[in-house]
Amino acid sequence: MGYRIGVDIGGTFTDFCVFDEEAQRLETLKVLSRPDAPGEEVLQGLAEIERRFGIPPTAVTYFTHGSTVGVNAIIQKRGARLCLLVTEGFRDVLELARLKIPDPYDLFSRRPEPIVPRDRVLEVRERMNPDGSTDTAPERESVLEALARAEALGAEAVVIGFLHSYANPAHERDVAAMIRAARPDLPVFCSAEVWPIVREYERSITACIHGSVQPRVAHYITRLEAALAARGVPVAPMITKSNGGVMTAAAGKARSIEMLLSGTAAGAIGAGFVARQAGFPRVMSLDIGGTSADVALLRDGMPDFRAGELVGEYPIYLPTVSVSSIGAGGGSIAVVDALGVLRVGPDSAGSVPGPACYGRGGEAATITDAFAVKGVLGAGELGYGAVRIDKAAAERALGAVGERLGRDAAAAAEAVVALAVANMYREVSRLFSQVGEEPSGYALLAFGGAGPMLGCLLAEEMGMDAVIVPRTPGVLAALGGLLADLRSDFVRVVFLDVAPEAMPELQAAFAALTAEARGWLRDSQGHAGEGRLGVSAEMRYRGQSYEIEVPLEPAWIADPAPERIAGAFHARHAEIYGHADEKAAVHLVALRVVIAGITPKPEFPAGTVVESRPAPEGQVPVAHRGGMVQAALFRRAALPPGAAFAGPAVVVQDDTTGWVPPGFGGHVDAFGNLILRRS
Amino acid sequence: MTTQLDPVTLQILKSHFEAAAESMAYTLLRTAHSAFVKETEDFTSGLTTPCGQTFASPKDLGATWFIGLDYAGAINALEDYRPGDICITNDPYSGYVCTHAPDMHLWMPIFHGERLMCFAVGHIHNTDMGGAVPASLSRALTEVHQEGIRIPPTKLVEGGVMDEKLLKVMLRNVRMPEQNWGDLKAQIASLKTAERKIHEAIARFGADTVAAGMYGVLDLAERQARRMFAGIPDGDYAFSDYIDEDSPGGVPCRLKLTIRIRGEEAEFDFSGSDPQLQSALNMPTGGLPRHILPLVGYNYVVYSLDPTVALNCGLARPVRCILPEGSVVNPLHPAATGMRSLTCVRIQGIIIGAFSRALPDRLPAGPAGGGGILNVRTTDPRTGRMAMASINPITGGGGGAADGDGLDGSNSFLKNTPVEITEAEVPIRVLRYGLEPDSGGAGLHRGGLGTRMTFRLHSPNSVVTARNRDRVRFSSWGLQGGLPGATCDFTRNPGTPGAQDLGNTDVVHCAPGDVLSISSSGAGGWGDPYARPLEAVLRDVAEGKVSEAGARAYGVVVEAGRLDEAATVALREGRRPLPLPITFDPRRLDFETVWSEAAWDRLAELLFALPVEWRFFMKHQVFAQMAQDAQAAADPVAAVERGFAAAAARHPQVGTLAGRKAA
Repeated sequence: MGYRIGVDIGGTFTDFCVFDEEAQRLETLKVLSRPDAPGEEVLQGLAEIERRFGIPPTAVTYFTHGSTVGVNAIIQKRGARLCLLVTEGFRDVLELARLKIPDPYDLFSRRPEPIVPRDRVLEVRERMNPDGSTDTAPERESVLEALARAEALGAEAVVIGFLHSYANPAHERDVAAMIRAARPDLPVFCSAEVWPIVREYERSITACIHGSVQPRVAHYITRLEAALAARGVPVAPMITKSNGGVMTAAAGKARSIEMLLSGTAAGAIGAGFVARQAGFPRVMSLDIGGTSADVALLRDGMPDFRAGELVGEYPIYLPTVSVSSIGAGGGSIAVVDALGVLRVGPDSAGSVPGPACYGRGGEAATITDAFAVKGVLGAGELGYGAVRIDKAAAERALGAVGERLGRDAAAAAEAVVALAVANMYREVSRLFSQVGEEPSGYALLAFGGAGPMLGCLLAEEMGMDAVIVPRTPGVLAALGGLLADLRSDFVRVVFLDVAPEAMPELQAAFAALTAEARGWLRDSQGHAGEGRLGVSAEMRYRGQSYEIEVPLEPAWIADPAPERIAGAFHARHAEIYGHADEKAAVHLVALRVVIAGITPKPEFPAGTVVESRPAPEGQVPVAHRGGMVQAALFRRAALPPGAAFAGPAVVVQDDTTGWVPPGFGGHVDAFGNLILRRS
Repeated sequence: MTTQLDPVTLQILKSHFEAAAESMAYTLLRTAHSAFVKETEDFTSGLTTPCGQTFASPKDLGATWFIGLDYAGAINALEDYRPGDICITNDPYSGYVCTHAPDMHLWMPIFHGERLMCFAVGHIHNTDMGGAVPASLSRALTEVHQEGIRIPPTKLVEGGVMDEKLLKVMLRNVRMPEQNWGDLKAQIASLKTAERKIHEAIARFGADTVAAGMYGVLDLAERQARRMFAGIPDGDYAFSDYIDEDSPGGVPCRLKLTIRIRGEEAEFDFSGSDPQLQSALNMPTGGLPRHILPLVGYNYVVYSLDPTVALNCGLARPVRCILPEGSVVNPLHPAATGMRSLTCVRIQGIIIGAFSRALPDRLPAGPAGGGGILNVRTTDPRTGRMAMASINPITGGGGGAADGDGLDGSNSFLKNTPVEITEAEVPIRVLRYGLEPDSGGAGLHRGGLGTRMTFRLHSPNSVVTARNRDRVRFSSWGLQGGLPGATCDFTRNPGTPGAQDLGNTDVVHCAPGDVLSISSSGAGGWGDPYARPLEAVLRDVAEGKVSEAGARAYGVVVEAGRLDEAATVALREGRRPLPLPITFDPRRLDFETVWSEAAWDRLAELLFALPVEWRFFMKHQVFAQMAQDAQAAADPVAAVERGFAAAAARHPQVGTLAGRKAA
């Protein structure tokens, strides 16, 4: 018996979850992140855990870790200096991207600078045909010329992205071999090895992002491993992934691209766990931090997956847990423009200087300040005592906004909150119409530092009846990491018509993918079990230019049943788009396999539910809808399973403050989740 | 009837309205069938007041041209709206809501009890509406009747009952009825989404507040626009530009605009623009003073100056357009309108140009364009089947501006098709697709580059179409000393003895092995190119965006990759023409030695005095006459008068008709 630790490094705070296997208890902790010295906060947290909970590093049996070191390298443009080798004639694959400008109404709108500038994109004489046959083999002279140029340009790594390499990676591999032979010290990445999808821009940008972050991430993980070992942690860290899984540290060093968006992904995994635990089949998770609010839709605790998520300004096309940013965070700034129009965001006070009420030099009025003025914040401590609320500063900030609106600070605070909620309403409405669902069938799971403050208000606006606040809303991503399985995705582009004569090729692709997946789990991850295999295909009607992912049964491939594969596609198409054309030819563009190796999970025993109506610790006056209400003040730790109360109420805990407006009532379930319902 | 709302409630309602419009758009995008909707996003959705003023539209989704489209003409064509009605029209000449036949517009009244609250509206571009050519669009068409079946404003659904007969007639007349029907269903679903969202808002805020909010957001946009005009010096700001050809192989078409800013209001006078054309480039506006087609560029300008403006009908309230009857910007039935998009794009440019005369430091130089949208029809040797595909839009960059270089390669919402997808689906081999070096106008801030695509066809009887080709002859303009961008070209088998210049040709029949190379023009530069920092010029040379020869336009001498400092200093400090506020390309200036502004103005005067059916004919007669007039450059106005007189003498009936008023 020992302790499992999950760590998630965020922009402001680094979150820790410590699960005591024997006592089946969860402890949590937050320390300030150290973007200046990544990894230091992990060690600081370990020391703090030993000091606070008496848990020595030597007792750790499992350690998962999510880091922003890769994302930061992209955002701060501190990735490796890359050269990109492309097929002759296609030097502008990154410059042109998919053409569309970010804001078509704006005459000044520009796409982000290409991650590899044009002088470092070098053409190589070679050409592959779309069917994977060679038109022109890579010309050695042309490769060596490109390498010489790359060296002269000071390349720290080389990415190779040739046309049609998804169909046959031989040219990329041959050129990589030529370069490695000449320069064994120069890292080389082949686009078809990073993620072999069709569409040259999407594959190339993904490979470039990988090439850009890999050296730095590998270095970071190596250092972290050493530091943990030096502290006596007896296990190697597992690295959380954007697909909601984990991988070994060794895999993290080689497949750095897979960890870039792991923070939001782990948050969704943690949210999914809580949704299942609390017994809500359809949940919208709402994670509001200082600078952003992230939303994921969870069905039976499972998030959606999507490709094309942004890392900084650049998209990557690996399957990623689908989490949408809906703008505002607690630090979003309220301003009144020259025509007297109030706006909240998009500018944010972030963590530095932060909201005015944090007393760290911020003066602008933020959403957090508005809650301080309302009276919701300030009754307890925030961020494990790291922050104290300066209500006077918040009132000064909101007073300035109110002056422009002709209202007092309290009325201005209410306006800011109402507008912030209306903005979220718009973003969330869009999300639901994208998937064609109604919000009223969903419960809202609020977490992050500011989620429980805004959760009920947004639920009310969306017509959602229930709000779930997990027991540890501030550290759900760290918890998600602890709960994640070993998980990896594999893809083969096949370009087949779904017809009997194409089945042998599909079978071959399936066999190859399965072998690769099993090999990964067994050899790379050292996992003893079989693993759970998921199969899906990216399919479309002939002539459509986009694919949808269709889950398949392995049996339909093993014992070829093209009509069932096509049928599954028609059904999925109808489900997503509301219609299907059973007579049209169906095209299978790519086959995908995902393998999951189940990791040991913390078990959270259900507590004994004893119905109670605990007396509030006090009364807090809160400005609400133009008047003052007396809200009951509860300390979360003092609310055992079965405890119930009615709004208005303020619930304080270490990592967040919850606002339960009038009209909502709450109770604590067997697992300590706070369930708030509209009465 | 309208309650005055406080600004905060108004902002909250604005979010709710936008949520409704965006939910409509996502519903349409998700459930539509055709590529035009799903990939090109050529559709709109929105909400209008009971009298047709659009007060909410999705910002990130759909066509960007129709923000603030006024539905009054369509709404007023019918009466007695009841719950469960859904109305349609695609007739460019009934109410001037629809602007070419492929665009099917729908509107549906939303009621709260007995009270008509608003209309949910929207359109999609149907891939085909029947008519003379597949896809219903061709520059060569001359009458709207050739451009497909037209439905005048009609209730498709009345009180919840579908007019099956109308549907049957419509679907019988189009080439891909399943697709049109599928898209129509998606449009109806989108309208119903709006109805749900508005009912939610009414339940939450009350009908009076919601109604007040609709007018409130329109008023807000109006105040924002008025504030912008107040910040611009009063004055007349004129700008003109050309479409290379007014019809296949034709002569240039001039588009002219004078913006007269007075206080918080402005007049946009399009007088002097060409008479309506015997081609499909006409823009049907009905002469409505706030029609959206001539104001698309205005919306872009207002938004670019202040991205916080509310994008709705209210922005246009301080503006009044003068759109002469029987002109290219206000054609009379039955002029064809299918390709009005080319004209509309050029007018967007002249609006930016006219505003930049007032605010040269706050707007970019002329945008690139003219590449066209490439499609191919060929036989797939692997299957023997006919393969049709959209290859790519050939796009160009944005103009240089005070804040930096123009974006290279594109300036719109159009997306490209990956080369890997094109090659996997159609038997063509792409040889090159990328930026066109030296195509961006030189400037302190360089204009965005154009693009070029070169490809080989493999099968006989292949047909390549390049819709909206232009800018082969005249290019974009530079601003504040910046130089114009390069023109573009279209060549068959370049670099071979049989090379053929295809110019603005938009339909090309190809033999197996033919190579086509097509480019877009570049955008204009901003600011004095000689003031561009050396590092920026050298960086462009290193990146291959500017050649060593091209660097000379910046007064920079680079040879064999090395900067010649002495020669650069000599060049930069040497004598040269003074930088101009606006610089047009040399071929335009050369053309204007004969076809001067005064000559065009005189021609317009003479032509607009004629009945509408004579104008285009006589314009071409005068052009032919001018081409033979060796003295034309000496006094272009006199030459125009001579030419007109000579043509009129050949057609004496013109004289007797000259006084007849058009239509």
